[in-house]
Amino acid sequence: MNKDYFCEVISKSMLNEDTALIEFLCPEIASSAVPGQFVNVTCSNFLRRPFGVASVNKDNGTFKVGIKIIGEGTEELASLQEGEGTWILGPLGNGFELNDDKYILVGGGTGVFPVNFLYEKLSSEGRAVKVVQGFRDKSQIIMNDPSYILTTDAGDAGLKGNCCDGLNTLSEDDIKGATVLCVGPMPMMRAVSAWASDKGLNCYVSLEQRMACGIGICLVCVCKIKAEEEGIPFDHKRCCKDGPVFDSKEVIW
Amino acid sequence: MSERLFVKVGDTFLKSPLILASGTCNMGRELSEIYNLSILGGLSSKGLTIKPRVGNEGVRVAECKAGMLNSVGLQNPGVEHFIKYDLDFMNTLDTGVIVNVAGHSTEDYIDMVKTLDPHKDKIDALEINLSCPNVKEGCMSIGSDKEQIKKIVGELRKLTDLPLWIKLTPNVTDISSMALAAQEGGADAVVLINTMLGMAIDIKTRRPVLHNNTGGYSGPAIKPVALRMVSECYRVLDIPIIGCGGITEASDVLEFMIAGASAVEIGTASLLIPDAPVFITDELLAWCEENDTDIASLTGTLKLW
Repeated sequence: MNKDYFCEVISKSMLNEDTALIEFLCPEIASSAVPGQFVNVTCSNFLRRPFGVASVNKDNGTFKVGIKIIGEGTEELASLQEGEGTWILGPLGNGFELNDDKYILVGGGTGVFPVNFLYEKLSSEGRAVKVVQGFRDKSQIIMNDPSYILTTDAGDAGLKGNCCDGLNTLSEDDIKGATVLCVGPMPMMRAVSAWASDKGLNCYVSLEQRMACGIGICLVCVCKIKAEEEGIPFDHKRCCKDGPVFDSKEVIW
Repeated sequence: MSERLFVKVGDTFLKSPLILASGTCNMGRELSEIYNLSILGGLSSKGLTIKPRVGNEGVRVAECKAGMLNSVGLQNPGVEHFIKYDLDFMNTLDTGVIVNVAGHSTEDYIDMVKTLDPHKDKIDALEINLSCPNVKEGCMSIGSDKEQIKKIVGELRKLTDLPLWIKLTPNVTDISSMALAAQEGGADAVVLINTMLGMAIDIKTRRPVLHNNTGGYSGPAIKPVALRMVSECYRVLDIPIIGCGGITEASDVLEFMIAGASAVEIGTASLLIPDAPVFITDELLAWCEENDTDIASLTGTLKLW
Protein backbone atom coordinates (compact mmCIF):
# COMPACT_ATOMS: atom_id res chain seq x y z
CA MET A 1 0.00 0.00 0.00
CA ASN A 2 2.41 2.67 1.23
CA LYS A 3 4.82 4.08 -1.33
CA ASP A 4 6.25 7.06 0.55
CA TYR A 5 9.54 6.34 2.29
CA PHE A 6 12.01 8.45 4.23
CA CYS A 7 15.27 7.63 2.47
CA GLU A 8 18.76 8.29 3.78
CA VAL A 9 21.61 9.32 1.51
CA ILE A 10 24.24 6.55 1.50
CA SER A 11 26.64 8.06 -1.00
CA LYS A 12 26.80 11.05 -3.26
CA SER A 13 29.10 12.23 -6.02
CA MET A 14 29.11 15.18 -8.41
CA LEU A 15 29.33 13.95 -12.02
CA ASN A 16 30.02 17.44 -13.31
CA GLU A 17 29.47 20.93 -11.94
CA ASP A 18 25.69 20.77 -12.07
CA THR A 19 24.81 17.08 -11.86
CA ALA A 20 24.84 14.86 -8.76
CA LEU A 21 24.45 11.11 -8.48
CA ILE A 22 22.86 10.21 -5.14
CA GLU A 23 22.45 6.75 -3.64
CA PHE A 24 19.51 6.41 -1.26
CA LEU A 25 18.77 3.59 1.17
CA CYS A 26 15.32 2.13 0.56
CA PRO A 27 15.01 -1.67 0.27
CA GLU A 28 11.38 -1.37 -0.90
CA ILE A 29 12.23 0.82 -3.89
CA ALA A 30 15.51 -1.02 -4.61
CA SER A 31 13.75 -4.38 -4.77
CA SER A 32 10.78 -3.33 -6.87
CA ALA A 33 11.94 -0.60 -9.28
CA VAL A 34 12.36 -1.50 -12.95
CA PRO A 35 14.15 0.57 -15.63
CA GLY A 36 12.00 3.47 -16.85
CA GLN A 37 10.28 3.96 -13.51
CA PHE A 38 10.82 7.13 -11.50
CA VAL A 39 10.62 8.44 -7.95
CA ASN A 40 9.05 11.71 -6.73
CA VAL A 41 11.30 13.42 -4.22
CA THR A 42 10.34 15.94 -1.54
CA CYS A 43 12.32 19.19 -1.27
CA SER A 44 11.66 22.51 0.46
CA ASN A 45 9.85 23.90 -2.55
CA PHE A 46 6.14 23.21 -2.87
CA LEU A 47 6.09 20.30 -5.29
CA ARG A 48 8.13 17.12 -5.31
CA ARG A 49 10.75 16.62 -8.02
CA PRO A 50 10.60 13.51 -10.26
CA PHE A 51 13.77 11.58 -11.21
CA GLY A 52 14.23 8.42 -13.25
CA VAL A 53 15.87 5.59 -11.33
CA ALA A 54 19.51 5.31 -12.47
CA SER A 55 20.50 2.08 -10.77
CA VAL A 56 19.49 -0.34 -8.02
CA ASN A 57 21.48 -2.53 -5.66
CA LYS A 58 19.09 -5.11 -4.26
CA ASP A 59 21.73 -6.63 -1.96
CA ASN A 60 22.37 -3.32 -0.21
CA GLY A 61 18.78 -2.10 -0.53
CA THR A 62 19.86 1.07 -2.28
CA PHE A 63 18.99 2.90 -5.48
CA LYS A 64 20.53 5.84 -7.30
CA VAL A 65 19.09 8.89 -9.01
CA GLY A 66 20.86 11.53 -11.06
CA ILE A 67 19.96 15.12 -10.22
CA LYS A 68 20.72 17.92 -12.66
CA ILE A 69 20.50 21.33 -11.03
CA ILE A 70 17.79 23.32 -12.82
CA GLY A 71 16.40 25.50 -10.04
CA GLU A 72 16.09 25.85 -6.27
CA GLY A 73 14.52 22.44 -5.69
CA THR A 74 17.11 20.44 -7.62
CA GLU A 75 19.91 22.58 -6.15
CA GLU A 76 18.79 21.68 -2.64
CA LEU A 77 18.46 17.98 -3.47
CA ALA A 78 21.83 17.89 -5.24
CA SER A 79 23.42 19.31 -2.08
CA LEU A 80 22.11 16.52 0.19
CA GLN A 81 24.98 14.90 2.09
CA GLU A 82 25.57 11.40 3.40
CA GLY A 83 23.41 10.78 6.46
CA GLU A 84 20.79 13.32 5.42
CA GLY A 85 17.51 12.20 3.90
CA THR A 86 14.18 13.10 2.37
CA TRP A 87 10.75 11.62 1.64
CA ILE A 88 10.59 9.69 -1.62
CA LEU A 89 7.48 8.32 -3.28
CA GLY A 90 8.10 5.37 -5.57
CA PRO A 91 8.73 3.48 -7.64
CA LEU A 92 6.21 5.20 -9.94
CA GLY A 93 4.98 4.83 -13.51
CA ASN A 94 5.35 2.04 -16.03
CA GLY A 95 8.89 0.97 -16.82
CA PHE A 96 10.12 -0.58 -20.07
CA GLU A 97 8.86 -4.04 -20.89
CA LEU A 98 11.98 -6.09 -21.46
CA ASN A 99 10.87 -9.22 -23.27
CA ASP A 100 13.29 -9.12 -26.21
CA ASP A 101 16.82 -10.49 -26.62
CA LYS A 102 18.43 -7.64 -28.48
CA TYR A 103 18.37 -3.94 -27.66
CA ILE A 104 19.70 -0.62 -28.82
CA LEU A 105 19.63 1.97 -26.02
CA VAL A 106 19.84 5.69 -26.73
CA GLY A 107 20.31 8.30 -24.02
CA GLY A 108 20.84 12.02 -23.76
CA GLY A 109 20.36 14.75 -21.16
CA THR A 110 19.09 13.30 -17.88
CA GLY A 111 17.88 10.35 -19.95
CA VAL A 112 21.33 8.84 -19.50
CA PHE A 113 20.28 7.79 -15.98
CA PRO A 114 17.37 5.50 -16.90
CA VAL A 115 19.50 4.24 -19.82
CA ASN A 116 22.20 3.31 -17.31
CA PHE A 117 19.65 1.26 -15.33
CA LEU A 118 18.53 -0.41 -18.58
CA TYR A 119 22.12 -1.22 -19.53
CA GLU A 120 22.95 -2.66 -16.11
CA LYS A 121 19.90 -4.91 -16.13
CA LEU A 122 20.07 -6.08 -19.74
CA SER A 123 23.83 -6.68 -19.81
CA SER A 124 23.73 -8.55 -16.48
CA GLU A 125 21.14 -10.83 -18.02
CA GLY A 126 23.43 -11.49 -20.97
CA ARG A 127 21.23 -9.87 -23.56
CA ALA A 128 22.69 -8.15 -26.60
CA VAL A 129 22.89 -4.42 -25.92
CA LYS A 130 24.34 -1.52 -27.86
CA VAL A 131 24.29 1.94 -26.30
CA VAL A 132 24.43 5.31 -28.02
CA GLN A 133 24.88 8.48 -25.97
CA GLY A 134 24.48 12.04 -27.21
CA PHE A 135 25.71 15.19 -25.50
CA ARG A 136 26.09 18.87 -26.39
CA ASP A 137 29.85 18.86 -25.77
CA LYS A 138 32.62 17.13 -23.84
CA SER A 139 31.81 18.93 -20.57
CA GLN A 140 28.36 17.34 -20.47
CA ILE A 141 29.52 13.74 -20.72
CA ILE A 142 28.31 11.66 -17.77
CA MET A 143 27.43 8.02 -17.08
CA ASN A 144 29.65 6.98 -19.96
CA ASP A 145 31.17 3.57 -20.58
CA PRO A 146 33.96 2.87 -23.09
CA SER A 147 31.70 0.35 -24.84
CA TYR A 148 29.15 3.05 -25.71
CA ILE A 149 28.98 4.90 -29.00
CA LEU A 150 29.54 8.49 -27.92
CA THR A 151 28.40 11.51 -29.92
CA THR A 152 28.71 15.24 -29.24
CA ASP A 153 27.15 18.12 -31.14
CA ALA A 154 30.41 20.08 -30.73
CA GLY A 155 32.55 17.18 -31.90
CA ASP A 156 35.06 17.67 -29.06
CA ALA A 157 34.58 14.07 -27.95
CA GLY A 158 33.39 10.93 -29.68
CA LEU A 159 31.67 11.22 -33.00
CA LYS A 160 30.63 14.71 -34.12
CA GLY A 161 26.88 14.75 -34.59
CA ASN A 162 23.74 13.59 -32.88
CA CYS A 163 22.45 10.24 -31.68
CA CYS A 164 21.18 9.28 -35.13
CA ASP A 165 24.69 9.74 -36.51
CA GLY A 166 25.79 7.40 -33.76
CA LEU A 167 23.07 4.91 -34.62
CA ASN A 168 24.17 4.96 -38.24
CA THR A 169 27.56 3.54 -37.26
CA LEU A 170 25.88 0.33 -36.02
CA SER A 171 26.33 -2.75 -38.19
CA GLU A 172 23.50 -4.55 -39.96
CA ASP A 173 23.93 -7.33 -37.41
CA ASP A 174 23.54 -4.92 -34.49
CA ILE A 175 20.38 -3.45 -35.96
CA LYS A 176 18.58 -6.50 -37.27
CA GLY A 177 15.67 -7.46 -35.01
CA ALA A 178 16.68 -5.09 -32.22
CA THR A 179 14.28 -3.08 -30.09
CA VAL A 180 15.17 0.58 -29.58
CA LEU A 181 14.70 2.21 -26.16
CA CYS A 182 15.33 5.94 -25.95
CA VAL A 183 15.32 8.42 -23.07
CA GLY A 184 16.34 12.00 -23.65
CA PRO A 185 15.16 15.44 -24.72
CA MET A 186 12.05 15.47 -26.93
CA PRO A 187 13.89 16.36 -30.18
CA MET A 188 16.28 13.44 -29.63
CA MET A 189 13.46 10.99 -28.95
CA ARG A 190 11.55 12.22 -31.97
CA ALA A 191 14.59 11.78 -34.23
CA VAL A 192 15.44 8.34 -32.81
CA SER A 193 11.83 7.29 -33.17
CA ALA A 194 11.93 8.28 -36.86
CA TRP A 195 15.24 6.44 -37.30
CA ALA A 196 13.80 3.27 -35.76
CA SER A 197 10.68 3.53 -37.86
CA ASP A 198 12.82 3.86 -40.97
CA LYS A 199 14.69 0.67 -40.03
CA GLY A 200 11.45 -1.13 -39.22
CA LEU A 201 12.37 -1.48 -35.54
CA ASN A 202 10.11 -1.19 -32.52
CA CYS A 203 10.95 1.85 -30.43
CA TYR A 204 9.88 2.83 -26.94
CA VAL A 205 10.50 6.24 -25.39
CA SER A 206 10.20 7.65 -21.88
CA LEU A 207 8.45 11.01 -22.01
CA GLU A 208 9.01 13.91 -19.66
CA GLN A 209 6.53 16.55 -18.55
CA ARG A 210 6.12 19.07 -15.75
CA MET A 211 4.66 16.95 -13.03
CA ALA A 212 2.93 17.37 -9.68
CA CYS A 213 1.52 14.29 -7.90
CA GLY A 214 3.41 11.60 -9.86
CA ILE A 215 0.65 9.06 -9.17
CA GLY A 216 -2.02 9.97 -11.74
CA ILE A 217 -4.49 11.98 -9.69
CA CYS A 218 -3.95 15.58 -10.79
CA LEU A 219 -3.73 15.28 -14.60
CA VAL A 220 -1.24 18.11 -15.07
CA CYS A 221 1.55 16.07 -16.74
CA VAL A 222 -0.33 14.83 -19.79
CA CYS A 223 1.22 14.10 -23.19
CA LYS A 224 -0.42 13.77 -26.56
CA ILE A 225 -0.96 10.17 -27.57
CA LYS A 226 -2.86 8.86 -30.60
CA ALA A 227 -6.51 8.34 -29.70
CA GLU A 228 -7.82 4.84 -29.10
CA GLU A 229 -11.33 5.83 -30.11
CA GLU A 230 -12.36 7.45 -33.35
CA GLY A 231 -13.66 10.99 -33.38
CA ILE A 232 -11.16 12.32 -30.85
CA PRO A 233 -8.11 14.25 -32.16
CA PHE A 234 -5.82 12.66 -29.53
CA ASP A 235 -5.73 11.36 -25.99
CA HIS A 236 -4.10 13.30 -23.19
CA LYS A 237 -2.41 10.44 -21.34
CA ARG A 238 -0.84 10.97 -17.94
CA CYS A 239 2.94 10.88 -18.27
CA CYS A 240 3.28 9.73 -14.64
CA LYS A 241 0.71 6.94 -14.55
CA ASP A 242 0.00 5.85 -18.14
CA GLY A 243 3.69 6.38 -18.98
CA PRO A 244 6.33 7.59 -18.79
CA VAL A 245 7.21 4.80 -21.25
CA PHE A 246 5.21 4.84 -24.47
CA ASP A 247 5.46 3.06 -27.81
CA SER A 248 6.97 5.75 -30.05
CA LYS A 249 4.40 4.97 -32.74
CA GLU A 250 1.65 6.10 -30.34
CA VAL A 251 3.26 9.45 -29.51
CA ILE A 252 2.08 12.58 -31.31
CA TRP A 253 5.38 14.45 -31.78
CA MET B 1 -14.46 4.55 12.50
CA SER B 2 -15.00 6.49 15.65
CA GLU B 3 -18.34 8.21 16.14
CA ARG B 4 -16.28 11.19 17.28
CA LEU B 5 -15.74 12.07 13.61
CA PHE B 6 -19.31 11.59 12.36
CA VAL B 7 -20.76 14.68 10.71
CA LYS B 8 -23.86 15.61 8.77
CA VAL B 9 -24.04 17.95 5.80
CA GLY B 10 -27.74 18.74 5.82
CA ASP B 11 -29.36 15.32 5.59
CA THR B 12 -26.22 13.64 4.27
CA PHE B 13 -24.37 11.56 6.85
CA LEU B 14 -20.58 11.32 6.54
CA LYS B 15 -18.44 9.13 8.78
CA SER B 16 -15.67 11.72 8.75
CA PRO B 17 -15.54 15.43 7.88
CA LEU B 18 -12.76 14.69 5.36
CA ILE B 19 -13.73 14.59 1.68
CA LEU B 20 -11.23 14.35 -1.16
CA ALA B 21 -11.67 17.40 -3.40
CA SER B 22 -12.60 17.04 -7.04
CA GLY B 23 -9.65 17.11 -9.42
CA THR B 24 -7.13 15.98 -6.81
CA CYS B 25 -8.13 12.32 -6.50
CA ASN B 26 -9.30 11.43 -10.02
CA MET B 27 -11.98 8.73 -9.45
CA GLY B 28 -10.20 7.22 -6.44
CA ARG B 29 -8.43 4.27 -8.09
CA GLU B 30 -4.87 5.51 -7.75
CA LEU B 31 -5.19 6.60 -4.11
CA SER B 32 -7.01 3.38 -3.19
CA GLU B 33 -3.75 1.60 -4.05
CA ILE B 34 -1.99 3.71 -1.43
CA TYR B 35 -4.40 3.79 1.52
CA ASN B 36 -7.83 2.57 2.53
CA LEU B 37 -10.24 5.30 1.41
CA SER B 38 -12.99 4.03 3.72
CA ILE B 39 -11.55 6.29 6.45
CA LEU B 40 -12.89 9.26 4.46
CA GLY B 41 -16.26 10.94 4.66
CA GLY B 42 -16.36 11.03 0.88
CA LEU B 43 -14.63 11.40 -2.42
CA SER B 44 -15.60 13.93 -5.07
CA SER B 45 -15.10 12.71 -8.63
CA LYS B 46 -13.05 14.50 -11.23
CA GLY B 47 -15.19 17.31 -12.72
CA LEU B 48 -17.44 15.74 -15.35
CA THR B 49 -19.06 17.08 -18.49
CA ILE B 50 -21.57 15.67 -20.96
CA LYS B 51 -18.93 15.05 -23.61
CA PRO B 52 -15.35 13.87 -22.99
CA ARG B 53 -12.82 16.69 -22.76
CA VAL B 54 -9.08 16.45 -23.46
CA GLY B 55 -8.47 19.59 -21.40
CA ASN B 56 -5.98 22.35 -22.06
CA GLU B 57 -2.80 21.86 -24.09
CA GLY B 58 0.75 22.71 -23.12
CA VAL B 59 2.10 23.34 -19.64
CA ARG B 60 -0.66 22.88 -17.07
CA VAL B 61 1.16 23.36 -13.79
CA ALA B 62 3.25 26.10 -12.23
CA GLU B 63 4.84 25.90 -8.82
CA CYS B 64 4.45 28.92 -6.54
CA LYS B 65 5.37 29.74 -2.97
CA ALA B 66 3.08 27.74 -0.67
CA GLY B 67 0.93 26.60 -3.54
CA MET B 68 0.57 25.78 -7.20
CA LEU B 69 -1.32 26.88 -10.27
CA ASN B 70 -3.09 24.39 -12.50
CA SER B 71 -4.86 24.80 -15.80
CA VAL B 72 -5.99 21.25 -16.51
CA GLY B 73 -9.23 22.52 -18.03
CA LEU B 74 -11.66 19.81 -16.94
CA GLN B 75 -10.07 16.88 -18.77
CA ASN B 76 -12.53 14.05 -18.18
CA PRO B 77 -13.91 10.98 -19.95
CA GLY B 78 -17.48 12.30 -20.09
CA VAL B 79 -20.39 11.41 -17.84
CA GLU B 80 -21.53 8.31 -19.77
CA HIS B 81 -18.07 6.77 -19.51
CA PHE B 82 -18.01 7.69 -15.81
CA ILE B 83 -21.33 5.93 -15.18
CA LYS B 84 -20.17 2.87 -17.09
CA TYR B 85 -16.64 2.52 -15.71
CA ASP B 86 -16.15 4.62 -12.58
CA LEU B 87 -19.35 5.00 -10.57
CA ASP B 88 -19.55 1.35 -9.50
CA PHE B 89 -15.89 1.42 -8.59
CA MET B 90 -16.41 4.50 -6.41
CA ASN B 91 -19.21 2.59 -4.69
CA THR B 92 -16.78 -0.16 -3.67
CA LEU B 93 -14.68 2.30 -1.68
CA ASP B 94 -17.02 2.33 1.31
CA THR B 95 -17.09 6.11 1.47
CA GLY B 96 -19.43 8.91 0.41
CA VAL B 97 -19.73 9.17 -3.37
CA ILE B 98 -19.86 12.78 -4.54
CA VAL B 99 -20.15 13.44 -8.27
CA ASN B 100 -18.72 16.72 -9.51
CA VAL B 101 -20.85 18.20 -12.29
CA ALA B 102 -19.46 20.82 -14.71
CA GLY B 103 -20.70 22.36 -17.93
CA HIS B 104 -20.51 25.19 -20.43
CA SER B 105 -24.12 26.31 -20.22
CA THR B 106 -27.27 25.92 -18.14
CA GLU B 107 -28.42 23.26 -20.61
CA ASP B 108 -25.23 21.26 -20.02
CA TYR B 109 -25.82 21.22 -16.27
CA ILE B 110 -29.46 20.21 -16.81
CA ASP B 111 -28.40 17.35 -19.11
CA MET B 112 -25.79 16.25 -16.59
CA VAL B 113 -28.24 16.09 -13.69
CA LYS B 114 -30.82 14.31 -15.86
CA THR B 115 -28.16 11.77 -16.83
CA LEU B 116 -27.00 11.19 -13.26
CA ASP B 117 -30.34 11.20 -11.43
CA PRO B 118 -31.34 7.66 -12.53
CA HIS B 119 -28.19 6.44 -10.71
CA LYS B 120 -29.07 8.21 -7.48
CA ASP B 121 -28.86 5.04 -5.39
CA LYS B 122 -25.10 5.07 -6.12
CA ILE B 123 -24.59 8.78 -5.40
CA ASP B 124 -24.57 10.61 -2.06
CA ALA B 125 -24.46 14.14 -3.43
CA LEU B 126 -23.98 16.12 -6.62
CA GLU B 127 -21.35 18.79 -6.38
CA ILE B 128 -22.28 21.46 -8.89
CA ASN B 129 -19.08 23.05 -10.15
CA LEU B 130 -19.82 26.72 -10.77
CA SER B 131 -16.22 27.64 -10.17
CA CYS B 132 -13.62 26.04 -12.46
CA PRO B 133 -11.45 28.95 -13.67
CA ASN B 134 -9.81 27.05 -16.55
CA VAL B 135 -12.56 26.82 -19.15
CA LYS B 136 -13.79 29.61 -21.39
CA GLU B 137 -17.51 29.16 -20.83
CA GLY B 138 -19.67 27.99 -17.96
CA CYS B 139 -18.34 27.15 -14.51
CA MET B 140 -16.73 30.28 -13.07
CA SER B 141 -18.50 32.65 -15.44
CA ILE B 142 -21.83 31.32 -14.14
CA GLY B 143 -20.60 31.21 -10.55
CA SER B 144 -19.59 34.88 -10.63
CA ASP B 145 -23.15 36.09 -11.21
CA LYS B 146 -25.63 35.64 -8.38
CA GLU B 147 -28.68 35.79 -10.64
CA GLN B 148 -27.27 32.99 -12.79
CA ILE B 149 -26.38 30.95 -9.70
CA LYS B 150 -29.92 31.22 -8.34
CA LYS B 151 -31.44 30.39 -11.71
CA ILE B 152 -29.29 27.38 -12.48
CA VAL B 153 -29.59 25.91 -8.97
CA GLY B 154 -33.35 26.43 -9.16
CA GLU B 155 -33.49 24.56 -12.48
CA LEU B 156 -31.41 21.67 -11.15
CA ARG B 157 -33.45 21.53 -7.94
CA LYS B 158 -36.52 20.63 -10.00
CA LEU B 159 -34.71 17.67 -11.58
CA THR B 160 -33.42 15.70 -8.61
CA ASP B 161 -33.85 14.87 -4.95
CA LEU B 162 -30.11 14.25 -4.62
CA PRO B 163 -28.34 16.71 -2.34
CA LEU B 164 -27.01 19.62 -4.42
CA TRP B 165 -23.73 21.00 -3.13
CA ILE B 166 -22.74 24.15 -5.00
CA LYS B 167 -18.99 24.66 -5.31
CA LEU B 168 -18.35 28.38 -5.51
CA THR B 169 -15.49 30.46 -6.80
CA PRO B 170 -13.58 32.89 -4.58
CA ASN B 171 -13.00 35.13 -7.60
CA VAL B 172 -15.91 37.41 -6.75
CA THR B 173 -16.34 40.65 -4.85
CA ASP B 174 -19.00 39.43 -2.45
CA ILE B 175 -18.95 35.70 -1.72
CA SER B 176 -21.86 35.75 0.74
CA SER B 177 -24.27 37.08 -1.90
CA MET B 178 -23.22 34.19 -4.17
CA ALA B 179 -23.76 31.66 -1.39
CA LEU B 180 -27.13 33.20 -0.57
CA ALA B 181 -28.13 32.95 -4.23
CA ALA B 182 -27.30 29.23 -4.16
CA GLN B 183 -29.40 28.84 -1.02
CA GLU B 184 -32.33 30.71 -2.58
CA GLY B 185 -32.10 28.44 -5.61
CA GLY B 186 -32.57 25.43 -3.36
CA ALA B 187 -29.02 24.22 -2.70
CA ASP B 188 -28.44 21.77 0.14
CA ALA B 189 -24.94 23.05 0.84
CA VAL B 190 -22.19 25.24 -0.55
CA VAL B 191 -18.56 24.24 -1.00
CA LEU B 192 -16.13 27.10 -0.32
CA ILE B 193 -13.74 27.60 -2.12
CA ASN B 194 -12.49 26.48 -5.52
CA THR B 195 -9.10 27.78 -6.72
CA MET B 196 -8.17 31.43 -6.98
CA LEU B 197 -7.38 32.76 -10.44
CA GLY B 198 -3.66 33.41 -10.75
CA MET B 199 -0.67 33.72 -13.06
CA ALA B 200 3.01 32.78 -13.11
CA ILE B 201 5.54 34.37 -15.46
CA ASP B 202 8.78 33.08 -16.96
CA ILE B 203 11.19 36.01 -16.85
CA LYS B 204 13.40 34.67 -19.66
CA THR B 205 10.63 34.25 -22.20
CA ARG B 206 8.31 36.92 -20.76
CA ARG B 207 5.50 34.47 -21.21
CA PRO B 208 3.07 33.03 -18.69
CA VAL B 209 4.30 29.62 -17.52
CA LEU B 210 0.86 28.18 -18.19
CA HIS B 211 -0.15 27.93 -21.83
CA ASN B 212 -3.65 28.87 -20.70
CA ASN B 213 -2.01 32.10 -19.41
CA THR B 214 -3.92 31.86 -16.14
CA GLY B 215 -4.70 29.01 -13.79
CA GLY B 216 -6.27 28.11 -10.48
CA TYR B 217 -4.14 28.77 -7.40
CA SER B 218 -4.40 26.17 -4.66
CA GLY B 219 -2.48 25.10 -1.58
CA PRO B 220 -1.80 26.50 1.89
CA ALA B 221 -1.44 30.04 0.54
CA ILE B 222 -5.19 30.31 -0.08
CA LYS B 223 -6.29 28.98 3.32
CA PRO B 224 -6.74 32.38 4.99
CA VAL B 225 -8.96 33.54 2.13
CA ALA B 226 -11.04 30.37 2.31
CA LEU B 227 -11.40 30.63 6.09
CA ARG B 228 -12.59 34.23 5.83
CA MET B 229 -15.15 33.27 3.19
CA VAL B 230 -16.44 30.31 5.21
CA SER B 231 -16.80 32.52 8.27
CA GLU B 232 -18.52 35.29 6.31
CA CYS B 233 -20.98 32.91 4.66
CA TYR B 234 -21.70 30.96 7.86
CA ARG B 235 -23.10 34.13 9.40
CA VAL B 236 -25.70 34.65 6.66
CA LEU B 237 -26.55 31.10 5.49
CA ASP B 238 -29.07 28.59 6.79
CA ILE B 239 -27.59 25.73 4.73
CA PRO B 240 -24.33 23.98 5.66
CA ILE B 241 -20.88 24.78 4.31
CA ILE B 242 -18.12 22.42 3.20
CA GLY B 243 -14.79 24.18 3.65
CA CYS B 244 -11.95 23.81 1.18
CA GLY B 245 -8.68 25.59 0.53
CA GLY B 246 -5.15 24.69 1.57
CA ILE B 247 -6.00 22.09 4.20
CA THR B 248 -2.86 20.07 4.92
CA GLU B 249 -3.08 19.18 8.61
CA ALA B 250 -5.58 18.47 11.36
CA SER B 251 -5.42 21.98 12.81
CA ASP B 252 -6.55 23.34 9.43
CA VAL B 253 -9.64 21.13 9.60
CA LEU B 254 -10.40 22.38 13.12
CA GLU B 255 -10.06 25.99 11.98
CA PHE B 256 -12.43 25.48 9.05
CA MET B 257 -15.01 23.81 11.28
CA ILE B 258 -14.78 26.53 13.92
CA ALA B 259 -15.25 29.08 11.11
CA GLY B 260 -18.51 27.35 10.15
CA ALA B 261 -17.79 24.31 7.99
CA SER B 262 -19.75 21.10 8.61
CA ALA B 263 -17.20 19.11 6.59
CA VAL B 264 -14.06 19.89 4.61
CA GLU B 265 -12.36 18.95 1.37
CA ILE B 266 -8.70 18.07 1.08
CA GLY B 267 -7.23 18.86 -2.32
CA THR B 268 -3.68 19.85 -3.14
CA ALA B 269 -2.34 18.14 0.01
CA SER B 270 -3.02 14.78 -1.68
CA LEU B 271 -0.73 15.76 -4.55
CA LEU B 272 2.18 16.24 -2.15
CA ILE B 273 1.51 13.53 0.43
CA PRO B 274 -1.00 11.06 -1.02
CA ASP B 275 -1.90 9.55 2.35
CA ALA B 276 -2.13 12.90 4.19
CA PRO B 277 -5.78 12.14 5.16
CA VAL B 278 -4.56 9.13 7.17
CA PHE B 279 -2.44 11.32 9.41
CA ILE B 280 -5.09 14.05 9.56
CA THR B 281 -7.72 11.50 10.63
CA ASP B 282 -5.49 10.16 13.42
CA GLU B 283 -4.75 13.65 14.67
CA LEU B 284 -8.40 14.70 14.56
CA LEU B 285 -9.39 11.65 16.58
CA ALA B 286 -6.66 12.30 19.12
CA TRP B 287 -7.80 15.90 19.43
CA CYS B 288 -11.41 14.86 19.97
CA GLU B 289 -10.38 12.34 22.63
CA GLU B 290 -8.16 14.86 24.35
CA ASN B 291 -10.91 17.46 24.41
CA ASP B 292 -13.65 14.90 25.04
CA THR B 293 -15.73 16.26 22.19
CA ASP B 294 -17.21 15.22 18.88
CA ILE B 295 -15.88 16.95 15.79
CA ALA B 296 -19.38 18.06 14.67
CA SER B 297 -19.80 20.19 17.79
CA LEU B 298 -17.07 22.52 16.53
CA THR B 299 -19.01 23.88 13.57
CA GLY B 300 -19.54 27.62 13.78
CA THR B 301 -18.13 28.06 17.27
CA LEU B 302 -15.98 30.98 16.20
CA LYS B 303 -16.11 33.87 18.65
CA LEU B 304 -15.52 37.04 16.66
CA TRP B 305 -13.96 40.04 18.36
